[in-house]
Amino acid sequence: MTYVIPVFIALVLIIAFIKKVTCYDTFADGAMEGLKFAFTVFPYLAAMFVFIELIKASGVADALISVCAPVFTFLGIPKELAELIILRPLSGNGSLAILDTLIAEYGADSYIARSAAVITSAAETVFYVAAVYFSTVKVKKMRFIIPISLFASMIGAIVACLLCRFI
Amino acid sequence: MNKIWAIVLIVSTVALTVISPSNVLPTYMSGIGSALEFTFKMAVIYAMWMGINALMDKAGINKFIAKIFKPLTKRLFKNESEKTQEYISLNLSANLLGMSGVATPLGIKAIEAMDDKSGIATESMRLFTVINCTSIQLIPATVIAMRASAGSGSASDIILPTVIATAIATVVGVLLVKVTRK
Repeated sequence: MTYVIPVFIALVLIIAFIKKVTCYDTFADGAMEGLKFAFTVFPYLAAMFVFIELIKASGVADALISVCAPVFTFLGIPKELAELIILRPLSGNGSLAILDTLIAEYGADSYIARSAAVITSAAETVFYVAAVYFSTVKVKKMRFIIPISLFASMIGAIVACLLCRFI
Repeated sequence: MNKIWAIVLIVSTVALTVISPSNVLPTYMSGIGSALEFTFKMAVIYAMWMGINALMDKAGINKFIAKIFKPLTKRLFKNESEKTQEYISLNLSANLLGMSGVATPLGIKAIEAMDDKSGIATESMRLFTVINCTSIQLIPATVIAMRASAGSGSASDIILPTVIATAIATVVGVLLVKVTRK
């Protein structure tokens, strides 16, 4: 698997060269576009990160998790995973941090750590994707995109825990 | 989005002011600081992959990839133009290969191409975004690496449950989008 990306890049360069693409200029143009994208997205990221840091620092996040805990226990999901499931759609890096903690605490092959690994891998940072993908268009009404994605991810997380219990 | 953000920020800021007012400003700054650090990291990734993507585009590779995905994109996004379907195919294939760095700008381009300027998310936009929000790379490399370095007996055995869980999530998402169609 370590060969996938290097081979891919090499192939792209070779094919482009053979097809007489002006590689240096084209790459430079693309790179410039990439840079512009990154900074177009920045303000929305700023709003999201402030959101996340604040709910953590103020205890609102913990309150939310406590509220959701009974639901999770009912579904047979250990409460240690509750924080991860709630944070996953909000923050990819935050999720990795939680996963790291869970692995360290329970061991990489424990039910909790394995479920956490699957939840982290199977879900996406919903708010990030939604914010970033719509950062350049003026769309005011998202029409359930976020609730649907959150719900679907939640189903995915439940399935993940069930699968890890029986495998 | 605007309402959720405002309400949550108000509640959190007030709560934090009560608990520890001297932490309010630092928390805000830290959030923006993290966003800026993250943006710099992503700028590197985006610049690299958009550069490669520009080469791919000029070399006709993108058209080729779009052709492979055509049966799928024609099914789900039949009302969109060729160019839009091309962006969609590129975004999906980039995600599958684990190149989320290039998937994101392509996703943005796809959404831009779907924009009908009405200010309301179109059916294609909804479907595309939900698919992106519920999908993963086939090989969650980072997570596997974390498990391996922590001494897991079989770090990559999470791949199968991950693929199943994510497929189910995507199907649920797509169904919900179809059901809530105007």
